[in-house]
Formats: sequence, C-alpha cells, structure tokens
Amino acid sequence: MPSRSGTGPKLKIGRVGVIGSGVMGGGIAAHVANAGVPVHLLDIVPKDGGNRNAVAEGAIQRLIKTDPAPFMHSGAARLVTPGNLEDHLDRLGECDWIVEVVAENLQIKQDVYRKIEAHRKAGSIVSSNTSTIPLQNLTKGMPKRFAKDFLITHFFNPPRYMRLLEIVAGPDTKPKAVEIIRDFCDYALGKGVVDCKDTPGFIANRIGTYWIQAAINHAIDQGLSVEEADAVAGRPMGIPKTGIFGLLDLVGLDLMPHVSKSLLATLPEGDDYRRIYRPQALFEKMIADGYTGRKGKGGFYRLAKGADGSRVKEAINLMTGTYHPAGRPRIDSVEAARKGLKVLAEHPDKGGRYAWAVLRDTLSYAVSLVPDIADQVTAVDEAMRLGYAWKRGPFEMIDQLGAKWFAEKLAGEGRAVPALLKTAADAGSFYRLQGSTVEHLGTDGAYREIVRRPGVLLLADVKRGKQPIVGNRAASLWDLGDGVACLEFHTKMNAFDADLLGMVKKAVDTVAKSYKALVIHNDSDNFSVGANLGLALFAANVALWPAIDQLVDQGQKTFKALKYAPFPSVGAPSGMALGGGCEVLLHCSAIQAHAESYIGLVECGVGLVPGWGGSKELLTRWATMPGMPKGPMPPVAKAFETVAMAKVGKSAHESKELGFLRPADGITMNRDRLLADAKETALRLAKRYKAPEPQELRLPGPTGVAAISLQVEGLALQGKVTRHDQVVVAELAKVVTGGEDADHIDPIGEDKLYALERQAFMRLVKTEGTLARMEHMLTTGKPLRN
Amino acid sequence: MRNVVIAGYARSPFHFAHKGELRKVRPDEMAAQVIEALIKQTGLPAQDIEDVIVGCAFPEGEQGFNVGRLIGLLGHLPISAAGATVNRFCGSSMQAIHMAAGAIQMNAGEVFVCGGIESMTRVPMGGYNPMPSPKLMKDMPAAYMSMGQTAENVARQYQITRSEQEEFAVGSHAKAAAAQAGGRLDAEIVAINGVAKDGCIRAGTSKEALAGLKPAFMEEGTVTAGTSSPLTDGASAVLVTSEDYAKAHGLKPLAKIRAIAVAGCAPEVMGLGPIGASKKALKRAGIAAKDLDIVELNEAFASQAIASMRDLDIPVEKVNLDGGAIALGHPLGATGARITGKAAALLKREGKGLALSTQCIGGGQGIATVLEAV
Repeated sequence: MPSRSGTGPKLKIGRVGVIGSGVMGGGIAAHVANAGVPVHLLDIVPKDGGNRNAVAEGAIQRLIKTDPAPFMHSGAARLVTPGNLEDHLDRLGECDWIVEVVAENLQIKQDVYRKIEAHRKAGSIVSSNTSTIPLQNLTKGMPKRFAKDFLITHFFNPPRYMRLLEIVAGPDTKPKAVEIIRDFCDYALGKGVVDCKDTPGFIANRIGTYWIQAAINHAIDQGLSVEEADAVAGRPMGIPKTGIFGLLDLVGLDLMPHVSKSLLATLPEGDDYRRIYRPQALFEKMIADGYTGRKGKGGFYRLAKGADGSRVKEAINLMTGTYHPAGRPRIDSVEAARKGLKVLAEHPDKGGRYAWAVLRDTLSYAVSLVPDIADQVTAVDEAMRLGYAWKRGPFEMIDQLGAKWFAEKLAGEGRAVPALLKTAADAGSFYRLQGSTVEHLGTDGAYREIVRRPGVLLLADVKRGKQPIVGNRAASLWDLGDGVACLEFHTKMNAFDADLLGMVKKAVDTVAKSYKALVIHNDSDNFSVGANLGLALFAANVALWPAIDQLVDQGQKTFKALKYAPFPSVGAPSGMALGGGCEVLLHCSAIQAHAESYIGLVECGVGLVPGWGGSKELLTRWATMPGMPKGPMPPVAKAFETVAMAKVGKSAHESKELGFLRPADGITMNRDRLLADAKETALRLAKRYKAPEPQELRLPGPTGVAAISLQVEGLALQGKVTRHDQVVVAELAKVVTGGEDADHIDPIGEDKLYALERQAFMRLVKTEGTLARMEHMLTTGKPLRN
Repeated sequence: MRNVVIAGYARSPFHFAHKGELRKVRPDEMAAQVIEALIKQTGLPAQDIEDVIVGCAFPEGEQGFNVGRLIGLLGHLPISAAGATVNRFCGSSMQAIHMAAGAIQMNAGEVFVCGGIESMTRVPMGGYNPMPSPKLMKDMPAAYMSMGQTAENVARQYQITRSEQEEFAVGSHAKAAAAQAGGRLDAEIVAINGVAKDGCIRAGTSKEALAGLKPAFMEEGTVTAGTSSPLTDGASAVLVTSEDYAKAHGLKPLAKIRAIAVAGCAPEVMGLGPIGASKKALKRAGIAAKDLDIVELNEAFASQAIASMRDLDIPVEKVNLDGGAIALGHPLGATGARITGKAAALLKREGKGLALSTQCIGGGQGIATVLEAV
C-alpha cells in the first residue's frame, strides 16, 4: 500500500499496471512508484529478436537519467518491474489498476483492452490516458464488465510535476471505480482531480489550445514580435512567463499539429476553434527543419553562440523567419498591469490591445463551453490553474475584469455575449465572498458554497475574512482551530529578516501561552529562500558588522527558543526551503513536507556557512541516525559534505536521504492536504509533548579538520574546488568538528556549536571573496565560482 | 635453515567495488570460501595449520575485529588453528607470507594459511573514522597524501607521459583478457556465490578510448582512471609451509621463498617503493635483476609500475604475464598474496627459475619477495 501520512481513506490500489512505456507511460509508472506502489510496466516485444523486455527496460533507464527527474528518489525505480505484452500479461492479474498509455489509435487501444480483459482480476479498474479519443468510442464493442470498470485518466506531462488529472467516467462506469481512482490519484499521487465530461480535449487542452491559437493569430495580425507577445501574454495576465511562444518551445512545436488535428476531427460543428484555426507556413517549415523547440535545434527562441563565445538568446521574426538577438520589450501596458488585469486590457498601447484581443476570445470561448464540458465553472478554473499553471482560471479572470464590464464591452464591439456571462453580469460575478466562505455561480444563476474535499485545508481558506492572532509586515500567526496556530511568512520570496525572526519569536511566546501546537507553513510557491541577502550585503558594504552579528545572534536565539518551546512545532514546507528556510525547519519538533519540497543548506554557494544552527542540527541528526557507523567522524563527514556541496534534496524523499528530514518525519503527496496533515501531526505530538533534552555531541576537533582537509586538497587538485571554496569549507570544517579544543572524549553542548557557527559566519562575511559571491548572486541569480 | 615453500594459491574473482558482482558479499565470508577451497585443492590436513594470517588495509566494519581469526572459524578450520590480522596497507598479505616464512624458519610452526581481503565497497578507503594526526599533517603533510597525487609525482619525476601510461594500461588489459579467454585464470579462481570470472578486465580497451578520459586526481595531470587500478572487491590466499612438511605430506609446492624485504621511501613518491625493497631482496638472494625470469609487479598506477621497471631495469616482457592490477583490480589487502601466489604459479607453468613479486605501499614503502623454482 502507498506510503503516505495523514488522514484519509484506506487506498485500495496496491499494485498498478502501466501499458506503454513512452514519455507519458514511463512518467506515470515513475510517479506511481514515487507513491511507494509497485508497478508492472509492459510494452511490446522488439522486432529485432534480442532482449524481449528491451523497450520497457530502456524506458526505465531513460527515466532514471531524465531531468527534471521523474523519480523522487533512487529507490523508486526499483519498484517498477519491466515486462512485455507477450510473456507477462499474467502480471496484470496482480494489478488493482491498469493504465493504458499506448498510441492514440482506437484499433491499437482496443487490441490492448482485449488482452487486459483476458487477464485482469475481478474488481480491478482499467483506465486510458487518451487525450483525444472519446470514452464512448473506446468502450464501443467491449464487454459490459470492461465498460463498468473503465474510465479515462488524463495526466499532463510530466506526470510527476503537473498537478492536473482529468478524469472522465462513462455512462456504464461504476461510481465506486471512479471513487477508488480519485482517492488514489488525490492522496497517493497528489493530483488535483477534475471531473470532466466526455468531450473533445476535455477541459484544459480544449481551452488551452484555443488560447494558444488565438494568441498566435493576434500576435501576427497586430504585428507583435515574439518577445512582445510573450511579455504581455505571460506574467501580466497571470500566466507563466513563457507566455505563448516560449510555451510552444517548451512543449515542442511538433505537438501542436497533432493536437489541432485531433480536435478538428472531433469538435462539434460551429465550434469557434474551427473558425480561428490557421496553419502557419513558418511553423510547418520550422518543424520540418528540426526547429521543434527546446528539444530540437531551437524554436521561436534559440541559444546561439555570440562572437565572443558567450551564449546569446535569439528570437525568430514571425514575418521573415530569421533570428535576431532577443529584445527586452518595454511596453507601458505591461508596467501598468501591476494595477490589475483590467488596467492591462483597457490600456491603449500595443500590449493593451493585444491583451484585450486574447482575453476577449479566450474568456468568451471558455464561458461558452459551460456546462457542455463541465458542470461547474470551478472545474474549469481548477483545470487551467493546475494544467496550464495559470494563476487564475478564466472565470476568475472575468471576475477581475468585472463580469458586467466584460459583457458590456463584448456587446459594445457587436460580439455575442454567452448566456452564462449574461447570468454572471446580472448576478455580479462568478465568485462571491459570504463572510469567510466563497461561493460560485451555478448555471442556474444560484450561488453555492465551494466545498473542499475532506482533509483539504488551505491557508487561504483559513485567512479569508479573518484577522491574524498577531502579525507584522513579515509574518502572521493564524488560528487553525483545535488549539493549533499557523505561522505564515509573507516577505518577498519569504526571505528572513529581523522582522520575520521577530514574528517567529512572537509566535513561540504566543503559542506557549494560549495554544497547544504550532505549524509553520505558507501557501507561496516557496516556503522560504533563506536570509535576505540584499540586506546582508548592504550591511557588509558599509561595514555594519555589529548589525550582521546581531542578526546572526537573533536567529540563533529565536530558533533555539522554537526548539525548546514547551509545545510541539511542525514545519510544513512546499517548494524551496533553503538556508535559513531550512534552518527553521531543522529546529521544529517534526517536519511534514510536501513531496515537492526542495530543502538544503546552500550558504556555501554565497561564501557563507549556516549561521542559525543549520550545521549543528544536521550534525545532530546524523549523530543520532540509526545504522550509522560508530565513531566521531561519520556524522561529521555527512554533515560536512552536505553543507559544503550545498546539496539540495530534489524531493522530500531525497531530503530524508540527506538527513534534513528525520526518519519519522512525514511526507504529503498532495499540496492541498499538507496543512491538514501538519496540523494532525502537531495535535498528535501535543498529546504527550515534552521539549527535547539538550543534545550533546562528541566531535573530533583538530583531527577532524585534518581529515577533511585531506579530502578538500584532493578535490582542489582535481579543479573541483575553487580558491574561495577552500576558504569557506575550511571555516565549515572548524564548525562541524567542534572547534580547536574539541576532543571526542568530551561531549560538546549546542551553545558551543552556535558560537562556532557565528564566529565562522562573521569571519567569512568580511572576506572579499564572500562579498563578491553575494553581489554576484544578487545581480545574476547564479553562484560565482571564485 | 629450513626452506619455506608456497604450496598452493587461490583467490576470489576480482570485481569493481560498488557496481561489481561481489559488492554484496561480506569480505570475511568471501575469504573463508577461498581458504576452504585452497585447503581442499591442496589436500592439506587442516589440523596441522599453525596460524591463519590475513592482510587487510582497512580492518574495520565487516573486516574488523580480528578478522583473521574469524575467517578461520567461518572457513570451518579446526579450533586449534590460530588467527591474526596484519596491516601493511597494500602490502598486507605479502607481509602475512613474510611473517609465516619467518616463523617457519624460527621453527615456530610448519603450516600457515596467508591470505588477504578487501571489500572496497563495504569498507571505505580511509575507513569510517579517518583521524589523522594534526601534528604530522603539519610537519609532514605527504604522510597522508592521496595515492593519486603520488602517482602524479612519480610520473613527473620520471617524466612518464600520459601516452606511455596508457600504452602500459592497454597492455595490461590485453594480457589479462587473453589469459581469461585462454582459461589461464580459471585454476586460481574460486567461484564465490556462483561468480567465477573476474569483472574488471576491459578486453576491448584501446589507447584512443583511454585518451578520452579526464585526469582523475589533478586538473593538469597525466594519471586517469584508465591508468590507475580500480577500486576492487576480492580475497586471496596462499599456503605457506616448510619444504620438509610439503614433501612429507605429498603437497605440490609451486616455489621456494628465497628472500624477502621491505624498505621505506618518501611518502610523496610511494609508488617507487618496489625499487628499494626489490634491490634489498635481490641482494639478499644473491642475484641480479637480470637473473629474474618472472616478475609480478603490482600496478597500483601505470606511472609507478613503469618507473619501478625502469629503475630496476626489468623488461616489460617479464612483467605481469597474465595482466596486472590495472586490468584485474587491486583489492588492497588481497593483492600481496595474489601476486606472490601468481609469481609462484607462473614459475611452475612457464618452467622458469627465478621470480620476484613486489609492490608499493601508501605512506611510502615497498615490499618484495624473491622466489625460486622447486
């Protein structure tokens, strides 16, 4: 059964079969393995007569090497067993769920279904990952038993990282089968499951493809360059910064003709996509010449070598097809868009006109599809948020513009106003706030409360219409109910500064007085990227050393207070938790991490060492790790290597391997369930909580420094360690070995380690090399290798 | 004085550490299987064994405690056979042979099992708790210098080019591959858990392939992974007895031990260790290098092997007939017994008169054994 923590139903999927080991099939198999569930991955027998499992085995090898990694940790690959569709069909009899991910060809799919049907066990569920073939066609002519256990589960690429899962049930599909798959995909795979109807392209690709086509057409018609179009149809519209053309480069230009073709074959007559669909000669030539995007020779953008050998980003001219150095367009409306989507759409300049045209067409189209493609507008918005990473779905965007304003503007331009938009214009909006609950508009014109699935707790819901218990500009403390408080960071990138530390301390004091437990969590993309480097560099440049020293001291005292507080604290990160963001987690009583957490002590990259107890806590974790070899060096070597190389866990599972998470710490696959799981952990700990005993460590002292320096010298000779790296890691070595006077027969308390961290930090921050690194990181976002 | 003979030789297959087929085998259990097979092959009455002396460079973890004793127990030797562990780094199991030879000549026993082990997978090089003396590090940093760095120093001092090193490495692989293909390694190998073949030999390697590798230890250096012995898992053992005992019990001696020596050298060029040690041993044997027919010279690195051959004036044709450590692998503690057992076996196979086995040792020393036909 899947390894997960937190509440929820008992999941009924103990083993999965995936048929087809291409990019999607392999990715799905890998992600099922990430959930701890064993997978049989079957594919055809190659014609060459060699290894009969070569196709599936090759897929697993490819998955292991793919970046970004489809597997969350090294052990997951071992859960995927390769096989072939001739010798191993009997293995399907072991599977509770069988996912078909073969070519988009009805004949091929139904051949596979007949094989599955002959071998699967009673009560097993079969699904297709089709993106184009209607369910009614897939089940046509198949036995009733098959149709009852069959549904469509449409994953997005790459399956580990894309949160959307569209499911489509047919008229014969058993509700229980849908429920089992929904629960498994939600709890174990962490997906946002959206119910769709059996219509072409389901929700996300139906609207997404239309949006891409509309955006291309208007860019060409209105004479915008590739860079200009992406500058407008990206962040200012709440869409990822790749915009349109950058997105096509990312997914591959050659994908689009296939998607268009299948949509055109199945869309109803009169669908507006048929009107706006326009093949582009330039795009066809680019595909034919291998300019298929990032995976090919380049696409609308490419990286070329400049005269001096440096890499130059170039963009294509949509009229001539020639490349030029990519510009950074300055468009007034893009600046103005900070004030809201409506300001952008009403702006008279080129960008404003373009934004309006794209929004007008895309949003009108989306409204016109409800209730044909989904019963509720919430499903459409969720699908676009999770499947295309839009900040807001189409209906939320219309609310930003104002439903009435939008309807009137459409009418004013002599365009049709979809019926549902008229309803919203009359009612006021698609969503409305009633006290602290949000309601959405139904097609019948009535508002209904948005009900989360059981076990889903979003901080946004907690906060809505409420005031924090206490807060400042950097952080707020919220009441989660049941005696648990939640500390939310809200500085830029959730970076640490004196105000944020102040609120951590305040939260500790407040919870100690009036609550049972504390959860540290926020719903930003990143938990925290660490200390505010800009402030530190500013202070260093004017030699405000006492101020820096004071901040180090404040952080240490704050985190120590958190660690020894009389109540349990649970850190619940998602996204990056780096530097100080990692250190605050290391001082919590427990961590409940979203699987997509990226945790690390990366201070060495900017020429520093962790100053707020990071090295100390990591050492302590390794020193108390079961199964470690005895003696003073193994924990020292582990902590040193992890911090010196600024290793970051690329998943919560990997962070466990690196020691940032303790063996008992929990991992939540579904982001929306993280806060509830963390709260549950906090309450469980609170039942019999005792603050930890002060930890003492036996550290090797100077002999440890000597052992480390041998390693570092070897790496330096190999050119793997730079000059300033040597300076930085020499300071780190002094910290993790316990200092000059340490001897492994004398235990050391943690105050000594705090002091060593502080001294090393202060020595480093005064070096030229470290200042250069900090400055470089702030200006370029990349580490300096000096 | 009593004569001392090598009365049998066996080893495990050698496989790459971390990725090879022996990575999951405990070194103590591997060595016990080798020793049990050796005793069976030779027909030795096991109750006559005085001592089991096992060399190991990092005797901790699974090769810790007094692993020499434990291997005897694991190998079902009689309780009366004692057991010791000896460490002279890479020279450990040759040292085990030397200790047995000395004991026999002192009339302190007649039958010794001398083995060596190293799982470089299961016990890291340097051990779990490397704790160098800060004082010595300061006074003489080379004492702890990495082996790769010393190989670079030797290459520089003897002006051995990268190309020369690669040619030597290709030759080592070619000889080993030919020996393996011709079945000439089979007799010495004891199958371990079904694994019966060496795993490190790259039959198809070429100068072109090696030329593509990056320097392994110094950015601007000449030594690569291709011209260094690989991290290896393996075990080896030889039977050392008095000549009289061998005759009396119908054993088939491979060679007689004529002379032995160890000698220190500068740690930063530890790869030159065989020179001083071999010169001493040859002198003690009363022979010159040119009198040698067979030489087993451990190939820790191509650079130090070439430098040692050059300085001792030994032609490559006489060296490592079935390939050396660059191709076969170098499980540190197990190598000395392998090359001494191999030199003895080659004397017999090739029908020659005099042989030398010698190797360099980290920290700056060498060890050598002169053998003669029986």
